Amino acid sequence: MSSLYRNSLALLLAVAALSACEREERQSRGKPLGETVPASVSPDTIFPQTGKLPPLHPRAAAYERNASAIAEGQRLYSWMNCAGCHSHGGGGMGVALMDGKWRYGGRIDQIVASIAEGRPNGMPAWRDRLTEQQMWQIAAYVRTLSGQAPKDAVSARTDEMSGTPPATQTRREPTRPADSDQQ
Amino acid sequence: MNRRIAAVAIAGALLASCNGVQNVMGGDGAESANFIRLFTLFMVLCTIMYLIVVAALLAALWRRRRSGLTVDDRRHHQISPIVRPALIAWTALVVTGLTVLTVASFFIDRSNAATASKPAIHMTVTANQWWWDVEYNLPDVSKTLRTANEIHLPVNVPVHVTLKSNDVIHSFWIPNLAGKQDLIPGRLTDVLLLARKTGLYRGQCAEFCGVQHAQMALDVTVESKRDFERWYSAQLATAKPPATPLQRAGYRYFTTRECAACHNISGTPASGQVAPDLTHLASRRSIAAGALPMNKGNLYGWVADPQSQKPGNHMPTVGLEPNELHGLIAYLETLK
Amino acid sequence: MRRTTLILAAVAAVIVIAVVLGLTFLDRKTDEAATRQLNEPAALKAIPARAASPADDGNWTMPSKDYASTRFSGLNQINPSNVGKLQVAFTFSTGTTEGFEAPPLVVDNTMYVVAPWPNNVFALDLTKPGAPPKWMYEPKPAAAAKGVACCGPVNRGAFYSDGRLFMNVLDGHTVAIDVASGKEVWRTKLGDIQKGETMTMAPLVADGKVLVGNSGGEMGVRGWLAALDAGSGKLAWKAYSTGPDRDALIGPDYRAPYPQDQGRELGVSSWGPEQWKIGGGTVWGWLSYDPELKLIYYGTSNPGPWNAEQRPGDNKWTAGVFARDVATGHARWYYQSTPHDLFDHDDINETILVDLPTRDGKRFPAMLRPSRNGYFYVQDRRNGRILSADPYAHVNAYGGVDLKSGRLIPVAEKEPKEGRVVRDICPGPPGAKDWNPSAFSPVTGLLYIPHLNICMDMGVKNANYIPGTPFVGADVKMYAGPGGNRGVFTAWDPIARRKVFEIKEDLPLWSPALATAGGLVFYGTMDGWFKAIDANSGKLLWQFKTGSGIIGQPISYRGPDKRQYIAVPSGVGGWAGAIVSADLDPRDPTAALGFVNATKDLKQRTTKGGTVYVFALPQ
Repeated sequence: MSSLYRNSLALLLAVAALSACEREERQSRGKPLGETVPASVSPDTIFPQTGKLPPLHPRAAAYERNASAIAEGQRLYSWMNCAGCHSHGGGGMGVALMDGKWRYGGRIDQIVASIAEGRPNGMPAWRDRLTEQQMWQIAAYVRTLSGQAPKDAVSARTDEMSGTPPATQTRREPTRPADSDQQ
Repeated sequence: MNRRIAAVAIAGALLASCNGVQNVMGGDGAESANFIRLFTLFMVLCTIMYLIVVAALLAALWRRRRSGLTVDDRRHHQISPIVRPALIAWTALVVTGLTVLTVASFFIDRSNAATASKPAIHMTVTANQWWWDVEYNLPDVSKTLRTANEIHLPVNVPVHVTLKSNDVIHSFWIPNLAGKQDLIPGRLTDVLLLARKTGLYRGQCAEFCGVQHAQMALDVTVESKRDFERWYSAQLATAKPPATPLQRAGYRYFTTRECAACHNISGTPASGQVAPDLTHLASRRSIAAGALPMNKGNLYGWVADPQSQKPGNHMPTVGLEPNELHGLIAYLETLK
Repeated sequence: MRRTTLILAAVAAVIVIAVVLGLTFLDRKTDEAATRQLNEPAALKAIPARAASPADDGNWTMPSKDYASTRFSGLNQINPSNVGKLQVAFTFSTGTTEGFEAPPLVVDNTMYVVAPWPNNVFALDLTKPGAPPKWMYEPKPAAAAKGVACCGPVNRGAFYSDGRLFMNVLDGHTVAIDVASGKEVWRTKLGDIQKGETMTMAPLVADGKVLVGNSGGEMGVRGWLAALDAGSGKLAWKAYSTGPDRDALIGPDYRAPYPQDQGRELGVSSWGPEQWKIGGGTVWGWLSYDPELKLIYYGTSNPGPWNAEQRPGDNKWTAGVFARDVATGHARWYYQSTPHDLFDHDDINETILVDLPTRDGKRFPAMLRPSRNGYFYVQDRRNGRILSADPYAHVNAYGGVDLKSGRLIPVAEKEPKEGRVVRDICPGPPGAKDWNPSAFSPVTGLLYIPHLNICMDMGVKNANYIPGTPFVGADVKMYAGPGGNRGVFTAWDPIARRKVFEIKEDLPLWSPALATAGGLVFYGTMDGWFKAIDANSGKLLWQFKTGSGIIGQPISYRGPDKRQYIAVPSGVGGWAGAIVSADLDPRDPTAALGFVNATKDLKQRTTKGGTVYVFALPQ
């Protein structure tokens, strides 16, 4: 075939291949009927039945690696006054979220449960104030404060004066349970 | 013949959209009227100059054909007697024309500045993705009015608008009244609106600001001073308490569930500050920043699933039960 | 060559002589100042208000020692010559590790220790060796209250009156405890933690009424001062700090000293519509009482949110000081120290009631206030007129106080604006001095002020109001002010209106002061050093390293063996110590509303604790 024909074909194939590069799916609606917080996700504790924490819900991956979910979570973190108690991860009235110490569990579904149910030492219960999708988005953002999210999904800057290093440079904290005698 | 009719028809159709509520050529405000004056003058002058240039070009082509001058012709140095006076006349025309345009520009600018120096009302408009937070700032701070996505202006009264943004760069544009002015996060800009004709107008965001930039409009009502004051005092009133059981159920849902986390209704416990103020929602012409006209069906559709109307906007689809939805809409409709 | 050497020698000699002379004169000046203080006749010094400051009986019945808030002990057994021998007599561990602010009270040979959350109270029998506990009272407050306490679940103390102890419990209750049995006599619920309200202040009991106020200026809470009947606990009156005159108890007796505070319904008209309902003005600090004038003096907290752009107007009656009639609660006068507060400059600091000497030998009823905004106010306590308002710390956020109009002069460049960070604002949010009160010595006539040298960067943003969550709208980063020291201890002469001496401290000073008739002043540092200094010169005479940082009030009492004791609570926390008591992360400079940046090194200097140390001279 002529070189023109060959080159055009190559170009067409390249364009077709690249158009399949869909980075992620952006869920604006969050499937209202099927989206529920997993019932009673326990903090890290003793499980006499199975000996380990129940497996992670498959939905978790959709939020943890999703840049738009993390960005929405970042916005909601400020709007819902999470920053008022937890600052930009350092804590204050609330515990620090950037140090990898988790009193009630640091897995994303455990964080969602903490947000939804509230916790005894003053964490408010948001179940009726936020939709489930919003809580998953906030939990995805909270995980980035200790570096748990992939670096290509986090936002590179905050929208306000914070002083912490950008999320793309936050080292991943090893997750450790906090002192439970502080209850 | 058919093509010509088609061309005229298309031109007519296009021009027809150039009138009404969002019309750059509307001239209903002092600044836009000034703009139209200037625009017309420029158009006329430049059209005349253009026609003269085209005429000269045609004349030159015609004369060349007729006189048959060639490069080899020794007599090509001979200049036609018309050239010299024509050039002088043309230079004079250009100089005069430019002077007229400069002077006109200067006077129009001065007219705009003069109105800008004596504002009678101060407002602050804060742009968010993708809605407008409107606040009237009176010297008596306890009479501050906060509303969303709509502006009422008294006719022939200069109004100074301070522009802010909470997130990205937007642009404030009410074509019938004035030109565009950007709202830049971290800075204050301003615009002066002086409406000359009563009526209903539409403004919109004119700087790409995200996925719903296209549905970020503003309802503008210009009315007489008396009507404006009546509207203002009605808006200052707090929301009436719900009367019927259905409205009460809606009120209960609104104030104790997701809605109050973001929205404010004065006179109720709902004091969220990050979403449009809904105290007088039912008195507005449209909802969702001009995305939908205000009526019961649209309210139902919007509250039930905002993401279907304006996907990506910050109001979540809650997944309301039918009774909750009925109660909410019944309550929202009382917010006149 | 020889000439050069001669010249060099001459220059060296001159330098040496100059240095020696200079040093000598320096010393001489300090000695002169000290001598001047000691030799000055008493008529030229301020003295505590007579009726509000009875003679010392060896007890310590209220956190401020007396109604005039002098925090001065009349005991003088321990003095500069023997304080070097001070040693631990006994200790008591409360078992809690939150910020320990409350002073122990000593009444009739029993010591009452008030712990931070969970607000347990212990009665220690001082007649037995080791002071064993007699009883323990456990109010059992709701743990969720800790989530709405902005600056640590602390408690600033109880008040002893007529066989009962009165105190506040974090989750919004006021309780009365019978001291003989340790049983609760009554409990009144006043605050609602669901709205973000807590109670941390020490009550003041006067005229048969228990005066208490709420906390929550950072949570969108509406502030108030309430009076409960001491016998039954029933509400006698409640004065709100915002809203209509009817709620704020502004009546026909109200006379403001300055035009800025005069008028009707200012608690509504100086706010945007409905904003006063979530406007702050809480009463979480100190009260003083004049039994002759029958007036209560107290200050109100900052307005909410911190983002001032959301609340145009002067925001009355926040960040100002009230004088109210104790029987009815009606306001006699009010002065707003910081109208339209921009920087969280509450006005809840202590008010010391003194009588100033006048030229004709009489006494002038005044009050001293080292305020959070950096100015030391001396006011007439009958009507609030300002006699002087001088900066006692580094201030660049204000241009002074205009004594004619009484208004604080703002500085336009330091006003925070949405979307823009303003830097180098001094003083920062805890102010030139936060809640930790100063002590007044009638012997020297000086006020001993433990305070701060902290500046900040501040960025504000739109704050959202959701009840039970913070309503702040600001990101703050604090750091040391000019000089690099974060704390400073100042001895201030209220009549001469100047500093007499100053001690720079590396860490912020968050502990109150104690002055004694023996010529000593005691205070503690945030890394646990309990210090005794000379009241005249400020020279450090003795110090002891306690187990945890000190943010609590030291007291002095006479024990059953007639000896003088000094007691101090040791347990770091509160707003300044939050990084340790709440285990915050120093990598976020905005944590704890910006304080973490200023106390990044605290975790390496101290740890949590909760112990009372009692010192005495060796037998």
